[in-house]
Amino acid sequence: MDFVFPNEVHVTWTVMIVLYPYITGLVAGAFIVSSLYHVFGRDELRPVARFSLASAFVFLCFATLPLLIHLGHPERAFNIMVTPHFTSAMAGFGYIYSAYLIVVVFEIWFVMRGDFIARARGTGLVALFCRAIVLFDLHEDDATRAADHRIARFLAGLGIPMACLLHGYVGFLFGSIKANPWWSTPLMFVIFIFSAIVSGIAVLVFHYVVVHKINGWKLDQACLRSLGRYLWGFMIIAVSLELLEILSIGYQQTEEWEVLAELIDRKLFVPYIVLQFLIFSLGPFLMLATIVLLRVRDRVHNVVLWLASVMLLFQVLLMRWNVVIGGQLLSKSMRGFTDYFPGLWEREGLVTAAVVFTMPFVILYVFHRVVPLFPPADPRPLDVEPTG
Amino acid sequence: MAGDHHTKLSRREALALLAAGPGLLLLRSGPLRAAGASGPADADPDWSSRNWGYAIDPAKCIGCGACVRACRAENHVPVGRFRTWVERYHVLRSGEVHVDVAPGPNHVFTADVGVPREEIVKAFFVPKLCNHCERSVCSQVCPVGATYTSPDGVVLVDSKHCIGCGYCVQACPYGTRFINPETHVADKCTLCYHRIRHGLQPACVQACPTGARLFGDLNDPHGMLTTVLSQRRYRVLKPEMGTHPKCFYLGLDREVV
Amino acid sequence: MKPTSYRHALLPFALLALGLATAFGVRAALVPDTFGDRGWYRAAAVDDQAALAASYAPPTACAECHDDKAALHAKDAHERVPCQTCHGPGAEHVATNEVKLPKPAAASDCLACHQRLLARPGPFPQIDRRDHFKLVGVKDESTPCTTCHDPHEPLFLDRDRRQARLHPLIQRCRDCHLGRTDETLVKPADHPAIFECQYCHGEIVADFKQRPHQRVPCTTCHLFTKESDFAGRIVRDADPRFCLLCHRAGAFRSVDAPPSIEWPSHRDDVSTGPQDANKRCVDCHQDRIHLRRADLGAAHGG
Repeated sequence: MDFVFPNEVHVTWTVMIVLYPYITGLVAGAFIVSSLYHVFGRDELRPVARFSLASAFVFLCFATLPLLIHLGHPERAFNIMVTPHFTSAMAGFGYIYSAYLIVVVFEIWFVMRGDFIARARGTGLVALFCRAIVLFDLHEDDATRAADHRIARFLAGLGIPMACLLHGYVGFLFGSIKANPWWSTPLMFVIFIFSAIVSGIAVLVFHYVVVHKINGWKLDQACLRSLGRYLWGFMIIAVSLELLEILSIGYQQTEEWEVLAELIDRKLFVPYIVLQFLIFSLGPFLMLATIVLLRVRDRVHNVVLWLASVMLLFQVLLMRWNVVIGGQLLSKSMRGFTDYFPGLWEREGLVTAAVVFTMPFVILYVFHRVVPLFPPADPRPLDVEPTG
Repeated sequence: MAGDHHTKLSRREALALLAAGPGLLLLRSGPLRAAGASGPADADPDWSSRNWGYAIDPAKCIGCGACVRACRAENHVPVGRFRTWVERYHVLRSGEVHVDVAPGPNHVFTADVGVPREEIVKAFFVPKLCNHCERSVCSQVCPVGATYTSPDGVVLVDSKHCIGCGYCVQACPYGTRFINPETHVADKCTLCYHRIRHGLQPACVQACPTGARLFGDLNDPHGMLTTVLSQRRYRVLKPEMGTHPKCFYLGLDREVV
Repeated sequence: MKPTSYRHALLPFALLALGLATAFGVRAALVPDTFGDRGWYRAAAVDDQAALAASYAPPTACAECHDDKAALHAKDAHERVPCQTCHGPGAEHVATNEVKLPKPAAASDCLACHQRLLARPGPFPQIDRRDHFKLVGVKDESTPCTTCHDPHEPLFLDRDRRQARLHPLIQRCRDCHLGRTDETLVKPADHPAIFECQYCHGEIVADFKQRPHQRVPCTTCHLFTKESDFAGRIVRDADPRFCLLCHRAGAFRSVDAPPSIEWPSHRDDVSTGPQDANKRCVDCHQDRIHLRRADLGAAHGG
């Protein structure tokens, strides 16, 4: 028998709210990789350092789009910054997002100033654009580059906790909703952050390999091997936390367990048990274990890593779906479930979601056309110093 | 202002009220006792000192849905959304509990559930509405300050300021909030604030033909609501949530969540 | 140490500072009036809410114009049902009178309250249409309730129920035993005391069971309304129109309906003079029902 409260028949937080933490997760993950190089000196990650920073920026630009599409009154979106109610986890969003965006923009400015200047010296509209970006100051020398490097490093360090906060608050938001037993757990903040890092690394690997294959460029093996190790390590932590959460409530079996077990069994068995855990967690875990622990040829390593990355991208998306949508399928009456099928052409439908998710990649391509996101094959004298 | 509703009556007053208690419950057709208004349509000058509360007597509810229809008409609630509703419970011999709400916007039950009569141990109706919690989760989680508790204890939504994010809808443990598909802002029972500020009763309380819904000022030690609460056993929904609801259910069955 | 030159960094940070200052200034200007006066909300919103128009008039408003209907209504079984519960929101009608309120008369309108449902409290008057029509001899299932029952005077009570005699609580078996019918229940020795009519009115009930109305439950004519957990009020309805609910002839009656008559022609037919002008059914037909206490006399004990 299924009984849901009459107002719960309609699901309020749709696929847009699945997409939003997914995108900020990509931001956080990509930024962490960039900071591994800029702050923690992981030099083997240099080939993707700039690319990951630009990815973080581009995804960040589009992070608010799903939210604006979802809001009942997007024209009032700034209310969150005009009258933020700080007892609410969501109230900090406007300021955290803005602050972090400023940090990322400034970091890109200082990291890539040299490239913008190089492009600005040309002619045409793009050159004019680049001149505007550098605020019409085209002077650079070793001293300015040294200063850029320091400032960039400081911003990269500052950005780490901010990235964690930007994505983590979403996890905290869900985890602190005591009314919903599927969401309510203190672990949610940490689960979201670690799975965000997984998705960020995975999207970098995915995108890096695809771009290089399309252009016929050579893959940097040391970089990929390092990314593979980080991916494996972070996914172990992320999946362990996800498992810990469900095993913990399954073990304690408080009153809500009855309905949660039914939720998993009836509504989420395929997306949660089969897909999220069995196929898309266990699969990549074994694949990555193989290529990290065993000695494999580069080609095999790269193919398996790329496949594992694609699977982990799905895993993280599934995890967001199972949390956001799964929690709303369950009625607060603890007596039944509702259904949710995202429409195709609706305002908050699948087509909109696909467009929103694709746009960052398009913009990243445009970015790359303005200034190169990958270090050139032959290093020029300007790039002897590690400016990025 | 919102205050403690556990007040003491003198023994004499208590006995007098006990004798007249059932009779008091019938007095729903006049203006509120301590409204201090000269007539039902005049604004209540002492409004900010009130603490509005609500009580439901499920034993009296016949599940006619008049309250739901009245609320819909009074507050222009869109079809498919509910500021209040009535649930029907059938407790079966097997221990299973069957719960449903009446179909359609008119909220009328036309038939029993398809369970053999011998299987049913007890059956009853339970009206539901916003509990106007003293520590409401919805007003805590609103990111812009669009949901708040008024000085007289009513949780309201500022529909000009709400951005329609839906956080409050998710946070409410009782499922009483929704996003209005016409105005795209959060919506819920307002205790007919526009009525109670003028000494009238909420539309649902006025419409109920059996006196299953009670409304009053918890700050009034001699008010009808305070009296009933001092005489009857009652509980609130989901007390473990820490919300301190102000909607009290008299003699509520354990199956009701 | 490498020489560093931060001059080029001054401009972007200066622009940032300027931007932030502007943003905070704009922010302060955008805060709505009255926001924060009473709490973290727009204080004027409370007044906005209080100023909305009401759709339902106060419950006493109807009687100011419709005093005749209101008087009938107040006396009879629907006394607790507010006018607007059936007639819909009346504020506009009270204000302008250009809007007339609907007069619901379909069976579905009545059955919203009176359809027999297991979840409805036992003592509450509720019917299953088929059973009800069988009892009162109505053959056409589409007959609306209003054919017999006036919504303002559904039972034609001959006195105000609120002033009727107090009586101990009357309960039937199924008021507690929800799923079972009366016939299937067996009463054990230590069953809680419930008042059945024959416990106090034994002689009358015994007499009643030998007369034509024996199938009719006592509380059908002696309408009982529960007022508390131990008492209620009982009405002995002798208004002719009440008897006519079952006994008035009409095309809707079935062949095995109770004996039917035309009214008021029946009274005229049997009248013997002006003294019969206001006679009620029971004045002639008491013997069809049961002996009254007065008739039982000394044997009953007074």
